[in-house]
Amino acid sequence: MTPVSSKLYTDDVSLLMVLIDTNPFFWNSVKSTLAFSTFLSNVLAFLNSILLLNQLNQVVVIATGYNSCDYIFDSSDSQSQTQRVEQMLQKLEEFVDKDESLGREDSVDGPGFSLLSGSLSMALCYIQRVFRSGPLHPQPRILCLHGSPDGPGQYVAVMNSIFSAQRSMVPIDSCVLGAQHSAFLQQASYITGGVYLKPQLLDGLFQYLATVFATDLHSRAFLQLPKPAGVDFRASCFCHKNTIDMGYICSVCLSIFCKHQKKCSTCGSVFGQAQTQDSSTPDRKRKTPLDA
Amino acid sequence: MPQVRIVARNFMDMVASLPALKLDKLYENSFICEAILRSLPSLAKKYVLQLLYIDGPVTAKWLEEWVLPDGVSKHKAAVDRLVQLRILTETVERKKEATYLFNSTFQRNLQKHIVHGGVLPRESMPSNITVRLPSLEELDAYAVQQWEFFLLHLINSAEAEKSTNISSSMMKVFQRGLLSQRDDKEPPKLTESGFQFLLMDTNAQLWYIVREYISNCEEVGVDTADLISFLLELSFHVTGKAYNLNTLSDRQRSITKDLADLGLVKLQQGRKESWFIPTKLATNLSISLADSTSRKQGFVVVETNFRMYAYSTSKLHCEILRLFSRIEYQLPNLIVCAINKESLYKAFQNGITADQASIATLHNGKIHLFFFQTCKMQIISFLQQNAHPRVAERTPTVPENVTDQMRLWESDLNRVEMVPAHFYDEFPSKDVFEAACDFAREYGGLLWENPKKMRIVVKAEIFTQMKEFLRKQKQ
Repeated sequence: MTPVSSKLYTDDVSLLMVLIDTNPFFWNSVKSTLAFSTFLSNVLAFLNSILLLNQLNQVVVIATGYNSCDYIFDSSDSQSQTQRVEQMLQKLEEFVDKDESLGREDSVDGPGFSLLSGSLSMALCYIQRVFRSGPLHPQPRILCLHGSPDGPGQYVAVMNSIFSAQRSMVPIDSCVLGAQHSAFLQQASYITGGVYLKPQLLDGLFQYLATVFATDLHSRAFLQLPKPAGVDFRASCFCHKNTIDMGYICSVCLSIFCKHQKKCSTCGSVFGQAQTQDSSTPDRKRKTPLDA
Repeated sequence: MPQVRIVARNFMDMVASLPALKLDKLYENSFICEAILRSLPSLAKKYVLQLLYIDGPVTAKWLEEWVLPDGVSKHKAAVDRLVQLRILTETVERKKEATYLFNSTFQRNLQKHIVHGGVLPRESMPSNITVRLPSLEELDAYAVQQWEFFLLHLINSAEAEKSTNISSSMMKVFQRGLLSQRDDKEPPKLTESGFQFLLMDTNAQLWYIVREYISNCEEVGVDTADLISFLLELSFHVTGKAYNLNTLSDRQRSITKDLADLGLVKLQQGRKESWFIPTKLATNLSISLADSTSRKQGFVVVETNFRMYAYSTSKLHCEILRLFSRIEYQLPNLIVCAINKESLYKAFQNGITADQASIATLHNGKIHLFFFQTCKMQIISFLQQNAHPRVAERTPTVPENVTDQMRLWESDLNRVEMVPAHFYDEFPSKDVFEAACDFAREYGGLLWENPKKMRIVVKAEIFTQMKEFLRKQKQ
């Protein structure tokens, strides 16, 4: 509990964590509609405008690669505005090179997917550190600029990040740049109370960013921001990482499986027979069908 | 009658009250655009960003579309502010709804800022020059010391050990309104606004002094727009970096000297050139009073037995505490004092009665807002703001019995209310007396009546009506 007298920041001081998708496979696929360089100049202008709005505003950029994630920019580090951009671009370049050189075989989902779970966790760690730094801190929020498709293998990790963001009351805004809607980010924004938006025209990305995502948390109480038409709540199974509508869940640890298993691979509970055969068995560790 | 002073609450209010021509000229400086943008309410900031790349007018409806029912008043306030600062120009055509046009100079400057980033008009000291610069802590300490010294000098020039470089005429300007002197023999006494001034936080005090400084310069004939733009520009310099004095114009250099006396900048003599180093006080200038992030650590502990322990070596703190408490003894780093009835009465006499309008802000040229703050509230908020970190964690930081007692002591003083009135007696008849009573009652001016002796007391406000009425009765 922080005493009222020590809450000195005005309401619109914000800490914005921006997660940038740097997956080369994705950017290659949308080369004709939105080049990576155009995207970057839009984002840089957006970051500048966030820092312009309040001198206490803070921006942190995390690059989401397909093998690794890293912090590439923190506005609290550097002082000069002119160095800011150069520094960030240089770090980004280093990151992309490093990301490519890392072995591909042990990547979670394969090269087509970016490590959203990793960058979300890094963002949340950073926010936790800010929370603990003292009673005076800006209001944090996360903005995912994501393009590549959801990696089903990251389902558990992403959901865990989402729930911890919800617990610490950090909204996750998502701006989906790819052709497909992202079920992960839909759920993330829905659960944490953020904004989910898939821009129709990627040429005007800055305008989307400035109109929707630059809105601080305080002003959001007075404004009607875009609401998603529907949210894809489908889950991935733990055994084959498939996205499923119907499945089995473990009644002890709530793990999800697409096929009937003898034993829960997560918590080790032994299951009885499949559901239809024996309903009067005293064994409680029975699996129940998952309601889609 | 309560005296209403119209006070621009911060720098931006003052900028907003500038004439249109000057305002347009100010916007040519991109730093002023930035400072103005930062001072806006959060919704207005959002609108500016939204309109930044839109050329041509937009309809009012286009802006309203986003607003939820809860936010209508905030939306109105934001748009009003933008129009007042001439960032948006409102045009209402006949039979059509209002449209807003973005100020093109302002727009261009911000666009440039967003794409290229801001560049200060002068570079900080190159690193190859080997001059020992003060560390940030030293600089803060310097600023605080300089400021306290200035304040001490302001309220009591006899207490200050050494004289400041601020000319005595300038000091007089600052003291105007804060101190009053009935005749030359008596030492000057704090006025009620002076009393309030001392209990304000540093940012508010700084703003008060800067405002006086600006209005003084105006009287001397210096262009205020130049001065304001220099002060705002100064607030964008990096704290603790040294800048060459030669990059300033002559007038700016003389302003800088004054600011050094206030602790806003530190002057440093190099081997060949001299430099100025902005302190935290200068960089906080453009922040509105609402977010006083520069709060220092508190030092006061108030106990339930009305004892007060102030861990401070500052002479200024001692003087401030003396305003409303009795200093019992002083140790090198501790001031022990007691709040009692007499000390508070003394403070209340200096201060103001309850419910007196103390500040009105200027908005759209009209008096818009009243802040009612009583003397006791000021003392309590001073104690709360400066609470020692150990007690600041506790709620309430000032014991309830102490605040309650202060409230009671204050209401003690307000037991008697004075109303100017007229006394009437020797009415010719009972009828005339009763008619007069009814008449006075109708106007809400009857204070007291005695039907037996046929005497009434009527408020002085309705004296003329009463006279007229009685004259008619006679006929």
